[in-house]
Amino acid sequence: MSKLGVFDVSVRYGKVPALNDVSLHVEEGERVFISGPNGAGKSSLLGAISGAVSTSHGRIEMDGDILSGRPPEAIARLGLSMVPEGREIFGALTVEENLRVGVGIRRDKQAIESDISDIYDAFSILGERRHANAGALSGGQQQMLAIGRGLMTNPKLMMVDEPSLGLAPNIVDQVYETLVALQEERGLTLLIVEQSSARAARVGGRMILLRGGAVVGDGDAAEFAQQDLLKEAYFGGSQKETAQ
Amino acid sequence: MNNVAQLFFDAASLGGIYAMAALGIALIFGVMNLVNFAHGDYIAVCVFALIVPSSEAVAVMFLGHAPAVVLIPMLLGIGALLAMASEYVVFRHFRRADPVAMMIASFALGFVIQNGLLAVYGGRPKAISLWPDLNTPVAIAGASVPLLQVIVIVATLVVVCSLALLLKKTRIGLEMRAAAENFTMARLLGVRANVVITGAFALSGALAAAVAMIMVTQTGVADVRMGGQIMLVAFIATVIGGMGSLPGAVAAGFLIGAVSVLLQAFLPLDARPFRDAFLYTFVIVSLLLRPQGLFASNTSKPRV
Repeated sequence: MSKLGVFDVSVRYGKVPALNDVSLHVEEGERVFISGPNGAGKSSLLGAISGAVSTSHGRIEMDGDILSGRPPEAIARLGLSMVPEGREIFGALTVEENLRVGVGIRRDKQAIESDISDIYDAFSILGERRHANAGALSGGQQQMLAIGRGLMTNPKLMMVDEPSLGLAPNIVDQVYETLVALQEERGLTLLIVEQSSARAARVGGRMILLRGGAVVGDGDAAEFAQQDLLKEAYFGGSQKETAQ
Repeated sequence: MNNVAQLFFDAASLGGIYAMAALGIALIFGVMNLVNFAHGDYIAVCVFALIVPSSEAVAVMFLGHAPAVVLIPMLLGIGALLAMASEYVVFRHFRRADPVAMMIASFALGFVIQNGLLAVYGGRPKAISLWPDLNTPVAIAGASVPLLQVIVIVATLVVVCSLALLLKKTRIGLEMRAAAENFTMARLLGVRANVVITGAFALSGALAAAVAMIMVTQTGVADVRMGGQIMLVAFIATVIGGMGSLPGAVAAGFLIGAVSVLLQAFLPLDARPFRDAFLYTFVIVSLLLRPQGLFASNTSKPRV
């Protein structure tokens, strides 16, 4: 049984279809990148899995539990965590309060405290600014906070939507190093939306390519980086891929 | 000096009532973008809960007989239950609806409550004397102040401080603040929407009950329509304060109370009957200068 199974899922906003009969699987401990041009349905897919977006058709399962139709808070309780596009940190809350929003679903008080100090060890700037308003952090720091916050629900599967968006390349490197280290440490399963196949190839993992709301490719990220398939999906095969 | 102290107590106690009513509205707006126009009618229900249901002109005390230690928590509970029930029966079904549709639903609910009260208690205002001793003046700082004014000011401070503590220090408070800022994100982190919203309604209803007790002690009247006027002022306070901002609601409540009292004191005699026209002119000017409110709640948007 796969960690995550998506079966024939469709999402539409009013009459506008965003996902058409998408099926995919993610195995335990795997790292999977979702890529594709703007409007391909990447965020809709993550929204459908997390429960933030309702599906019009199809079924989503995690560890055999059916997720589709459940509210986001119930899905979070089953062990799925979401680090959304644009971070969506709570700017008026302090750094530490941001981390604690997600611990309401846990009962292991001591583990919560040690998880928080682990996050401060991994991201020392968050520890230094734990009592500062999170809205005052820089973009890269907010991304670290969003990842830390996503970990505090103690997830089995974590989804990260465009972690590199709006960040300087060296900060993106840091974000990915952290994600990979965390995955190895905790045995997490990761599903990451990443526009750049080059970046995905450097980090390593499987890549699923979406276009026009459908899966158009599935394979090793390194292969995609070399192939023209991705460029074709973006630009119809003529232009050079821009570093994003 | 006497006059200054007198004015201060008048302004602070009137502002305190407005602040508490505005807090009740801002709390709900913060978590679900609903301007709950039925809030004023929660206040009226709490007042009428004090007396025996009948359409007689003379009010007979019912809950109002109970000693304060029993009466206060009971009435706070009634307000909270009423607000929670209205959420369960009405607003829950509008969660995904447009905020305008929700607001209209709240108007409708207000009319239902008002007409329910009308059917049971009749339309004539009734005289109620709850804690009449509180209107006896005491001398403070050279001014002669009704004890109630002092109690109102203290009660407002207690309510505001305990609300702030609740929001800052408790689990549900943290969840409410997170939900007020970004409800979807809070839910993605496992925060239960129903718990947060029900909690916000309970607090809001309890605030309505507190306002009811103060108003009825001060005016000595129970009127089916009594919620309308205070609701209007409280709503304006939440707008001036910055929709959804709790400190803003409190500050603007006190500000409107102060302006209102100052106008009453310093307007020429001939102009005094038109005090409200001047008050609302002040409201317009304030909104022209700061359309986003005194404490805009979007200043905390994350940077990119």
